[in-house]
Amino acid sequence: MSFAIATTLDQALAAIADGARPIAGGSDLVVGARHGKAPLPESLVAIDRIAELAEIKAGGDVTRIGAVVNHARLMTDPTVVGNYTALADAAALVGSPATRNVGTLGGNIMNGSPAMDTGAPLVVMGAQVELQSTGGTRTLSIAHLWDAPGSNTAAAGELCTAVLLPPPGDRCGSAYVRLEYRRAMEIAVVGAAAAVVLDEAGAIVNARVALAAVAPTIIEVDGIEDLVAGRALDDDGRAAVADAASSQASPISDMRASDAYRRHTVGVMARRALDAAVRRALGEEIAVPVNRALGIGAA
Amino acid sequence: MTPPVSTPVLSEPIDPAALPRFDRADGPDKVTGSGRYTADLTLTGMLHAAFVYAEHSHARLLSVDTSVARSMPGVMSVLTADDVPDVRYTHGTADRRLFAKDAVRYDGDVVAAVAATTLEKARAAADAVVVEYEPLPTVTDLEAALADGSPLVHPEWQSYDAADGVERSGNVASFSSIAKGDAHAAMADAEHVVSGRYVADASHATPIEPRGVVAQWEGGKVTIWSSTQVPFAARAGVCQTLELPTNKVRVIVPHLGGGFGGKCGFHYEAHVAALAQAAGRPVRLVFTRREEFLAPDRRREGMIVDLTTGLRSDGTIVARTAKVLLDGGAYMADGEFFPQMAAMHVAGPYKMDHCHIEASLVYTNRQPSGSVRAPTAPQGCWAVETHTDELAAALDMDPVAFRKLNAVDEGDEGCVGQIYNKIGLQDCIDAAVAAVTPEGDLGEHESIGVAIGWWPSFPGASGAIVRLDDDGQGQIVTGAQENGTGSVMTLRQLAADELGLAPQDFQIVYQDTAAAPFDGGSSGSQTLINNGRAVVAAAGRVADQLKELAAAELEASVDDIVLADGAAHVAGTPTKSVTIAELAAAAGGGALLVASGSEDPPEYPELDTEGGRIACIGDQGVAGWAGPQFSCHAVHVRVDPDTGVVRVLNIGAAHDSGTIINPLAALGQIEGGIMMGIGQALTEITHYDEAGNQLNAGLLEYKLQTAADTPNVKVVFIEPGADGVGPRGAKGLAEAPNVATAAAINNAITKVIGTPVRSLPMTAERVWAASMGVDEGSQP
Repeated sequence: MSFAIATTLDQALAAIADGARPIAGGSDLVVGARHGKAPLPESLVAIDRIAELAEIKAGGDVTRIGAVVNHARLMTDPTVVGNYTALADAAALVGSPATRNVGTLGGNIMNGSPAMDTGAPLVVMGAQVELQSTGGTRTLSIAHLWDAPGSNTAAAGELCTAVLLPPPGDRCGSAYVRLEYRRAMEIAVVGAAAAVVLDEAGAIVNARVALAAVAPTIIEVDGIEDLVAGRALDDDGRAAVADAASSQASPISDMRASDAYRRHTVGVMARRALDAAVRRALGEEIAVPVNRALGIGAA
Repeated sequence: MTPPVSTPVLSEPIDPAALPRFDRADGPDKVTGSGRYTADLTLTGMLHAAFVYAEHSHARLLSVDTSVARSMPGVMSVLTADDVPDVRYTHGTADRRLFAKDAVRYDGDVVAAVAATTLEKARAAADAVVVEYEPLPTVTDLEAALADGSPLVHPEWQSYDAADGVERSGNVASFSSIAKGDAHAAMADAEHVVSGRYVADASHATPIEPRGVVAQWEGGKVTIWSSTQVPFAARAGVCQTLELPTNKVRVIVPHLGGGFGGKCGFHYEAHVAALAQAAGRPVRLVFTRREEFLAPDRRREGMIVDLTTGLRSDGTIVARTAKVLLDGGAYMADGEFFPQMAAMHVAGPYKMDHCHIEASLVYTNRQPSGSVRAPTAPQGCWAVETHTDELAAALDMDPVAFRKLNAVDEGDEGCVGQIYNKIGLQDCIDAAVAAVTPEGDLGEHESIGVAIGWWPSFPGASGAIVRLDDDGQGQIVTGAQENGTGSVMTLRQLAADELGLAPQDFQIVYQDTAAAPFDGGSSGSQTLINNGRAVVAAAGRVADQLKELAAAELEASVDDIVLADGAAHVAGTPTKSVTIAELAAAAGGGALLVASGSEDPPEYPELDTEGGRIACIGDQGVAGWAGPQFSCHAVHVRVDPDTGVVRVLNIGAAHDSGTIINPLAALGQIEGGIMMGIGQALTEITHYDEAGNQLNAGLLEYKLQTAADTPNVKVVFIEPGADGVGPRGAKGLAEAPNVATAAAINNAITKVIGTPVRSLPMTAERVWAASMGVDEGSQP
């Protein structure tokens, strides 16, 4: 087994081209190996010391979050908390302080768990993923990154280097909430993210909802705008969104929950995420994470 | 005796900052990480052990082929049932061998063990052991297990040795009943009758430290380092199964990383000792978290409780009948008393002239159940106290008033013929409710639920040695085991008070069966009451020695010598004194300052069974309670009605555990017991497949409560001053706080969703299902 520490992106890409697996926090790779999920790869290259992968750059027509930015930073960074709040909500719920200080955004999305917390927020905020290899750079919509549980569509040799988000606009709000049974070291039973844009009168111009842990990958709920756009969020809109989320979910039964319970509660979470996103867009301060601020789940 | 330095107020919600400081002798080691646990030990030439576990939860064992494993490089010993004495063990019923011989009965049965030069080699060799099985039908349904024609977990049960009074038949490993008066006639006459079924799942002790054992032979004797709560019981198990005299087996416990009952009993010490003997080298076994979940015979038992209570319209309980089935798993472990204890908890601390309760511990092809902190009590209390709120509701009575009307008090008789002395139960109810009642209104979807509980104290044999060396510094050599509760650490306070010294003047030599007299271990909340008695007696004898020396030195009467502040002085004349260090220096060249203490333990109360009024079948001695403890927990919860998620916000906990010797340590036990209770109430579900194998044997899916989940806890101690069985009127303590929490939580949930939850744990999905009217209490 070999282990190399890259200090530049070029070193990392070269190692990955030679078959090395990238490792940053190791909170999936190492824990998975210890639990017998998959043995550690023969060759590892550490990417956590590559400075450019740890940057958050805002301004211009894109906000760029480096792949090894960890969850502890996501939940406190003013750019993320101020403009991409759903992502901060999600990051703040991951694991424990120790997990959040080693686990990275790139690791979370590339691991491809359908129960990941950061995925649904990135979908509703229209994130792109930047993949680099020795052959060049490409970006793709994050919704196209996942194809099955624990799997991604990156080619061999490609490294996730950043997540790209559209610049913040006026009267935008987002939120992520999840069903959880305890307040730390928890995994989403189901989760939902919402992002909205309002007009000056408070009517919904644009709304998106995505769901975690109710399908083989993170899924976006179709037709949300038809249900809520053109007016302020009302009880009919909330109920319609909950119904849409429940009906489009295709959950499994496992130890954490039955399919029926997941289907019901993901509607509840979708409704609450949308509600919190609208309230934030209207200027209300709801602290990160919404789960704790509004007493959702084990909050 | 010197009184404690300060007397804190314990009868109002306690402010921890106002309590006397408690310097734990083991604190710096544990906090800084310098302390050594069993898994930290390394001996020269040490090998690593791995077990071969059963591949079926019930199967005939046809053959075990170790030839390939034995030939693998680095493998130094491989053992099966053929390689150790053919001894069946376990006190209640001798139903188990070290290694499965004819059959395997759960997935944690050990078929073979390997010791090799590395852990990887040991595991590879364990994988190379070839075992042939003939699968047998499994027994996992408690009610089906009792039906005629059910497969038997132990078809040969009649040939097993059993302890006196253990009532067995077929899959019933132990049966007990409590019968008083004529319950059926009284029930027929009752003005109201309420029935309910309550089903509790199994749960786990889950200590932070998975168990470890290291064994080394020298000169025909074996030293075993083990993460056990009960070193003397572990020694007894090794002696029985390997056929050794007690003085050839020494069990030492390094720092112990928690136990909660899960490390009571004899477990794997003999396996490792036998591996070390066969290999001629020391051997270390360290469990993975998965093994810690699946293998030990100390699972908290699942339970089905069917309860019926008859009432008068004024709210008086007139009769109770109940049937309790307990999932005993594949072997007896220490469960022979579980049915009787469960019956006591299902009866509850209530006045009752007529009752008939039958309880059966049932063999199944699941992990064996054994004593986890207050065995049978949290489930039994959850059932009966949920039922109690249903009784109050049937009469449209306030549930607190209903409890105050029916709960036992001084001079009352409960479900068995014990008349209670001055007890604090009524005060506990008032104090717990007051501690949690807010000044304003409760929030939306919030409510307060109340439950009462009880638990005995367990007087028993215990010994200690106290000595002062020639500089006046002390050693307490004790057989007691520190499980993290602080009870052994508190022995310094008792010795210091006897001798006029400070707790910090003593070191404690503990957890070594060769160094100290017997103690029952960290089990049954018995350490401080029993070993405290021994330490007080031993220190008192040293104090007598000091007083004689001081009397000669000061030319005064022995009766006038007072020991205080590190010196002996003449009463009324503090200036006429000599330091204890000076006396110790003199004694160091003479008779030495050393004494032992043990003393007979207090007796258990006799029950008034005159004229057959009370009849207990399968009596295991847990109906008449010495030092009975009482408690009330009042819990303020918020329920999310859309998801069923329950959040515990505030808890008021009031306890009569007799005189509190060390308030800060006692407070920690109450808080910890409550957190364990919340986990058992809400999140600690154990998932099984149809064959009885546990599916969630890990900390991600077996959901303990975390520090982040901790509610506000207000604790009150009621000290009625009677019935103490330990020093200064102490009763047991550490199990009692693990009794009433889950019950109180259910009563709070009921007020929000309009119906009780009939399955424990009350997971979010079960609460949601109950609120939708679809929870009937599922089979554990």
